[in-house]
Amino acid sequence: MKRLYKILLISFLSFVFSFSAYAGGHKYTGPDLSGQKVVMFGPWLSPEQEIMREVGAIFEKATGATFEYGGSDSFEQQVMIDLKAGSAADLVVFPQPGLAANAAAMGGLVPLGDDIKQMVLDNYAAGQSWIDLSTYDDENGNEQFNAIFFRTNVKSLVWYSPDNFEDNGYEVPSSMEELMALTEQMASDGNTPWCIGLGSGAATGWPATDWMEDIMLRTHSPDVYDMWVSNEMPFNDPRVLEAMDFFGSIALNDSYVNGGSKAVATTDFRDAPNGLFTSPAECMMHRQASFIPAFFPEGVEAGVDYDFFYFPAFAGKDLGTPVLGAGTLVAATNDNPATIEFMKFLMHPEPHEYWMAKGGFLTPHKGVDGSKYASDTFRKLGEILTGATTFRFDASDLMPGAIGAGTFWTGMVDYTNGKSAKDVADAIQDSWDAIK
Amino acid sequence: MTILNLLFIVFLGILFFIAYFHISNYLLDSYGGRSVKRYNFENSIRVIVFIAPAFIVLFVFILYPVFETIRLSFYDKFGREFVGLYNYKWAVNDPEFRRSILNNLVWLLVVPTLSTFFGLVIANLADRIWWGSIAKSIIFMPMAISFVGAGVIWKFIYEYRGPDNTQIGLLNSIIVSLGYEPQAWLTIPIWNNFFLMAIMIWIQTGLALVIFSAALRSIPKEMLEAARIDGASELKIFFSIIIPYLEQTILVIWTLITIIVLRIFDIIFAMTNGEWQTGVLANLMYDWMFRGGGDSGRGSVLAIVIMIGVIPILAWNLYKHRQEQKI
Repeated sequence: MKRLYKILLISFLSFVFSFSAYAGGHKYTGPDLSGQKVVMFGPWLSPEQEIMREVGAIFEKATGATFEYGGSDSFEQQVMIDLKAGSAADLVVFPQPGLAANAAAMGGLVPLGDDIKQMVLDNYAAGQSWIDLSTYDDENGNEQFNAIFFRTNVKSLVWYSPDNFEDNGYEVPSSMEELMALTEQMASDGNTPWCIGLGSGAATGWPATDWMEDIMLRTHSPDVYDMWVSNEMPFNDPRVLEAMDFFGSIALNDSYVNGGSKAVATTDFRDAPNGLFTSPAECMMHRQASFIPAFFPEGVEAGVDYDFFYFPAFAGKDLGTPVLGAGTLVAATNDNPATIEFMKFLMHPEPHEYWMAKGGFLTPHKGVDGSKYASDTFRKLGEILTGATTFRFDASDLMPGAIGAGTFWTGMVDYTNGKSAKDVADAIQDSWDAIK
Repeated sequence: MTILNLLFIVFLGILFFIAYFHISNYLLDSYGGRSVKRYNFENSIRVIVFIAPAFIVLFVFILYPVFETIRLSFYDKFGREFVGLYNYKWAVNDPEFRRSILNNLVWLLVVPTLSTFFGLVIANLADRIWWGSIAKSIIFMPMAISFVGAGVIWKFIYEYRGPDNTQIGLLNSIIVSLGYEPQAWLTIPIWNNFFLMAIMIWIQTGLALVIFSAALRSIPKEMLEAARIDGASELKIFFSIIIPYLEQTILVIWTLITIIVLRIFDIIFAMTNGEWQTGVLANLMYDWMFRGGGDSGRGSVLAIVIMIGVIPILAWNLYKHRQEQKI
């Protein structure tokens, strides 16, 4: 695992450096697939689903096949129902490798074959690491390459409005100590430092798991993080409780979060960042992944109306500058020619470049034209990655589905509603023991 | 194109069944009828042939799933390895499971009772005022809204914003204008269950109201007049004449709503998804069956518990139905 993370880090770094590799856009050309249809199902709702449909339109134009995309914010459950019923869409977009592994273990996914594997190896920076993260045991316990990563993101980001910072004379903090001091100062100035929203339909609670992961990486060594992911270290270990309490020191403090601690779990994560753009601002900072600008209000401009800084590490702890990331995977439930061709299409630079231009999209694809990025703000994400000394994949995404997409989420909701860290962690560990 | 295809398939299906009955009937007719023995044999075959399609549908969609669920409850999460009573032991020791049962029981007690009560009272009162039928149609309207739709509407009623922000939730804006602190209604354990039940009551009162309004008409006017002439107060009339007279209707409505409440899932799914201790068995089952990869063993155990819970109410309903038919 450890080696894998190193490779992953390198992969992120190299895609940053590969911006200048090509100039001009790429055009996908495919075989004639007239009359065939590809249906995709995923967790993306508006506005991402429109972009995905536009990406699909490129495929339609090139091959003559039809493409349909449908999204649901109860995706985690719906996809399992579809797979068990044998009526899943041709392509399924998994937000977590853990869930994709569950689907593969049920025998719901088809192996993608060596062609596509080779394409990942050739096109993605450090392709092997991506293949390792998308290789799962099938129903007979044989390892199969099942999915490709499409659209990755960086999570350790704090979004803010430069105008608000300037008006109040706040400086972008460079360490966790400074960030906490800034939080305190904002509160004493009468401003609300943070906007936090955990609501996400049936997936309610996941944004808090990202907080936990970022804090774990900043309070303990990466080894501890890996032990936490694999449950070698129990979930109710004091080190996890410490991280939860640190999250609580922000989220449970009524003067630190917009709407008070009660609003944390009831606010939708898509609505939460809106507080940055109200006048007067309802909050000063919002910690969320690189995809969140997709949900910002219409018309706000990157670099002008909003910007981001790295969610900093403790200066007092010698843990370097850790970065948390994740990504969505596309897997196939059948090997129709059109379905497999769509997978190959996703390995072509054109769909990557198309979405990059729309914003909120990072890719390890080496062949893409970096100038296609929507703005300098997204290019700046590269600097955060180049400065990282540790890269870790989202822990809840790697945990077994029943934990990482289940009790961990509900546990964090209970925690923000006043349950003690100990009780929450005990319950999560119990549920982990129960599925072993 | 697809709609035409669909219609064509439906047409083919109907054609097939008409042909099935007619041809089998014709074959039996041409075979039997020549001797008493043959006639009897033919008749018993005819029964089987005619009942077979219904029985096959019943078997495939009702009996088979029940037995498959029972089988799965003894297997691991993929339904591959036999684990004995492990899943049942887990359920008994699971605190979520116990809370869900408790929540279910409270739902079953509160919602049918209050819906029936409000329905009866409103039906009575509405008869006495000139705008009664307008009021009745307004109260009946929620019946036309799906549970999920009602959930979305009530989300706006319970919506919470911080004390410094503008309240967009109806309930909180009322409370704030009266000078109280806004509350995150759906996150207050125990009480939030009742806030969710209010939605169901809001929907089901209309149903009770309509049936009671019709039933009230069946009370002989002479009896009410006689009571009034004898000097009985309206309250006395309500308790001593109307309620005894409507006893059967009350029971029917109460069981009807109880059966609807037994399947409660959508409202909780749309409003809280079982968070903040509002989960009921159906939500817990759905979570275990499908969330995070799914666990058909534990999910099936929960499904069986729900089934066992439904049986007494259905049995009682059937018993009632039989008794009525005897009369």
